[in-house]
Amino acid sequence: MTLSPELRAALVERLTAMADDELVLGHRDSEWTGHAPILEEDIALANIAQDEIGHALLWLEARRELDGSDPDALAYRRSAGAWRNARLLELPKGDWAFTMLRQFLFDVFETELLARLQASACASVAEAAAKAAKEEVFHLRHSGLWLRRLAGGTEESATRLRSAMDRAWPYLPQLWQPLAGDAALTEAGILPDMAEVGAAALERVRAALTGSGLEPPEVPPNPGGRDRHGEDLVALLIDMQSVARADPEATAW
Amino acid sequence: MTPAETNAAPDTQWPRWEVFKQDAEGKPHQAVGSVHAADAEHALLMARSVHARRPAAVSLWVAPADAVHAVTAEQLATDPETPAPFGAGARRFLVFRKTSHRRSMTFVEHVGAVTAAGPEGAVAAARETYPEPPALAWWVVPADRVTASPEAEVAAWFEPAGTKTYKQQSEYGTLAAGHRKGGRR
Amino acid sequence: MPPEAGRSVEDEERLEAFEARIAGGEKIEPGDWMPEAYRRQLVRMISQHAHSEIVGMLPEGAWITRAPSLRRKLILIAKVQDEAGHGQYLYHAAETLGVPREELIDALLEGRAKYSSVFNYPTLTWADVGMIGWLVDGAAIRNQLMLAQCSYGPYSRAMVRICAEETFHHKQGKEMVLLYARGSASQRAMAQDALERWWWPSLMMLGPHDSDSPNTPQLARWGIKTKTNDQVRREYVDEHVPELQGAGLTVPDPVLRFDEASGHWVHGTIDWGEFWRVVKGNGPVNAERLAARRSAHEEGRWVREAMAAYAARATGAAS
Repeated sequence: MTLSPELRAALVERLTAMADDELVLGHRDSEWTGHAPILEEDIALANIAQDEIGHALLWLEARRELDGSDPDALAYRRSAGAWRNARLLELPKGDWAFTMLRQFLFDVFETELLARLQASACASVAEAAAKAAKEEVFHLRHSGLWLRRLAGGTEESATRLRSAMDRAWPYLPQLWQPLAGDAALTEAGILPDMAEVGAAALERVRAALTGSGLEPPEVPPNPGGRDRHGEDLVALLIDMQSVARADPEATAW
Repeated sequence: MTPAETNAAPDTQWPRWEVFKQDAEGKPHQAVGSVHAADAEHALLMARSVHARRPAAVSLWVAPADAVHAVTAEQLATDPETPAPFGAGARRFLVFRKTSHRRSMTFVEHVGAVTAAGPEGAVAAARETYPEPPALAWWVVPADRVTASPEAEVAAWFEPAGTKTYKQQSEYGTLAAGHRKGGRR
Repeated sequence: MPPEAGRSVEDEERLEAFEARIAGGEKIEPGDWMPEAYRRQLVRMISQHAHSEIVGMLPEGAWITRAPSLRRKLILIAKVQDEAGHGQYLYHAAETLGVPREELIDALLEGRAKYSSVFNYPTLTWADVGMIGWLVDGAAIRNQLMLAQCSYGPYSRAMVRICAEETFHHKQGKEMVLLYARGSASQRAMAQDALERWWWPSLMMLGPHDSDSPNTPQLARWGIKTKTNDQVRREYVDEHVPELQGAGLTVPDPVLRFDEASGHWVHGTIDWGEFWRVVKGNGPVNAERLAARRSAHEEGRWVREAMAAYAARATGAAS
C-alpha cells in the first residue's frame, strides 16, 4: 500500500503508540518475575510479558518498514517525553489486584482494537493484528478470571480490587483517545474509529465490573494526550535503559 | 518480619491437579505433571502456562489429584484390590496406563474408558479391557472430574508457543568461540 | 536403619527385589515399595534441587528490567520463567513421595532447607547473566543428564524435561559472552570480570570432593547418582576451559594447565572453606535471597486466600 507522506507520518505515530503501550506494560508485568503470589502465576505472567514485548516488536517492525527506524534504538534511546504510551500502563505494578485489573482494562481495549484492526487496508498492519489478537484471547481469559475471583474472594481481595479500580479508572479513556493523525488513518481504512473502539471497550468493562459486584464510577473527561507522562515513566526508563546507555561504544548486545 | 511473626494461619498452595497433554491430533493424552490451582478453570490456564509454553500441544485435560486412583503393577501383585460390587452405581472412568520403563518425559497415557462402580472396579475392568501390553501402572479418573481445554480456542491456546523461537535451543546454531555458525543474529 | 525385630527377613527380601528392579533398568513409581532411606534421600535431593531453581530465579531476575536489547529481554524472561517451571516440576516429583508443597516451601522460607550455594553470590553486572548461563547452567546440565537416568520415575521424567529446556539457557549465555568478549572495551572488561567472579563458584557447584561425599556409593547402587562429583567436575572443566580461552578470556586460575599424559585439564585447589561457609548460610547474599522469597510469599498470602475462599464458596454452592 503506497502512503502519502501525511498518512505515513500518522501511521508511524499510531504504531509507536501501540508499541509503547506494549513495551511499558510488558516491562511492568516482567517486574513480577520471581515475586508472584504462587509459582504457577509467576510462570503465567512471564508468558504474558513475553507476548506483550513480542507485540511491541510486531508494531515496531511494521514501523521500520515505513521509516527504517530501529526497534532497539527506539526502546533504549528515547527519553520519557518522546514516548507515546498511555499513562495507565506506566503506573507502578502495585499489588496483584492492581496488576490484574490494569491488565484486564488493557486486554479488553486491545481485544476491541485488534478485532477491527485485522480489517486494515494496510496488509502488514492487518497481519500483525491477527497475530497479536490470537494471544490476546488467553490474556483476557486470565485477567477476566482474576477479576471475578478477587471480586468474589475475601473481603480483603474485594477491597483491594476496589482500590485498584479507583486508581486506574481516571486513566482508562486515554487508552482510546485518538492521536492527531488518527482521523486521516480511519478515513483511509487503515485504522478503526478509536471512539468506537473506546465505546465498545467501555461497555464491556462496565458489564464485567458490574457483573462482579463492583460499581465503576462515571468516566472522567479530558484525560490528556499521550505525550504527557509522569515521573513513573522516568524511573522505568532509567531502569530499562541503564545498561544500554552506559556503553555508547557497544554496537551489539 | 520473621516467619514466626507472620500470620499464624496455615498457608495454602491450592489443591493439586494432574495435567494431561495431547501433542497432536490422533495422539493420546499423556500425564505431564501437575499444577496447583484453586479450581478447574484456573487449573487449565495454569496447565497451559506451565506445560505448554513450548510446542507441541493441541489439547489439555486437568483432573483434581485426589480424583485420580493410581496403582502400580507391583502394588497389584503384592496387595490386590477389592472392587466394590457392580450395581452399586456405575460411573464412567477414563483409563491411563504406563507400558514401558523407557526413559521419557511423560508418565501414563490415555488408552480408553470403562464403566465401574468405583475406582478399584475400574482398574479391574481396565486390566480386562486392555490386557496388552502388560501395564506397569494404571490411573483411573471419573470422566466427570476431567476438564478439557476449549476446542474452539486451540489456535489461541497452543499456536503462540511456536512463535517464541528464542527459547528453542536450535535457534542458537553452533557456537564456536571466535566464529559463530548458523543460528539467528 | 536397623530392621524391626521379626521383620528383617521380609525386609531383606524386599530390598533385594527392589535393587534387582533397579539393576534391571526398571523405574520405581509412586506406590511401589521402596526402602525408607531411598525415599528420604530422594526427598532431600529433589527438594534441594527444586529450591535451587526457585532461588536461582532471583540473581538473574533482577536484570530482566535492565536487559539492553528487546531480544535479550525476551530471552531472559523466558529463561527465568523456565527456572520457575523447573522448580514446579521438581516440587511435583517431591510431592509424589508424600510431601505437600506447603511443607517444602515452609522449609525453604524458614531457612531449614538447603539449595545450591552458587545462587548465594550476587550478580553485579549484565555480563553476569551471560556467565551464569554459560558456566552455571553448563554445570547444571551435566548433573541433570546424569540424573535423567535416575531410578525414581517422577525425578527422572522431570530431569529429562529440564535437560531439554536447559540447553537453551547454556547456549544463550555462551552467545552473550562470546559477543561481549569481542565487543567494546567495556564489554570485554565486563565479561572478564564476570568470569573472575563466577568460575570458582561454578566448580564448587558440582559438589564437594568425592572423599567428602559419603552418600555417593549408596546413591549409585540405587540408581540415583551414577557419576561422582569429581568425575563430573573433570568433564565440565575439560569442556569449558578451551572454549573460554578460545573466546579470549583468562580463567582465574594460575595453576590451570593441560596435562598431556592424562588428556585432561588440571585446575588449582578449590577453596572448600568458602564453599562450606556459603553452604552453611554465610555467603554474600544468602540473607537477601531468603528475604526476597519470604517477602514474595507473604505479599501473596491474601491472593492465595482469596482464591481458596472463592473456590470453597463455589463448591458449597454446587453441592
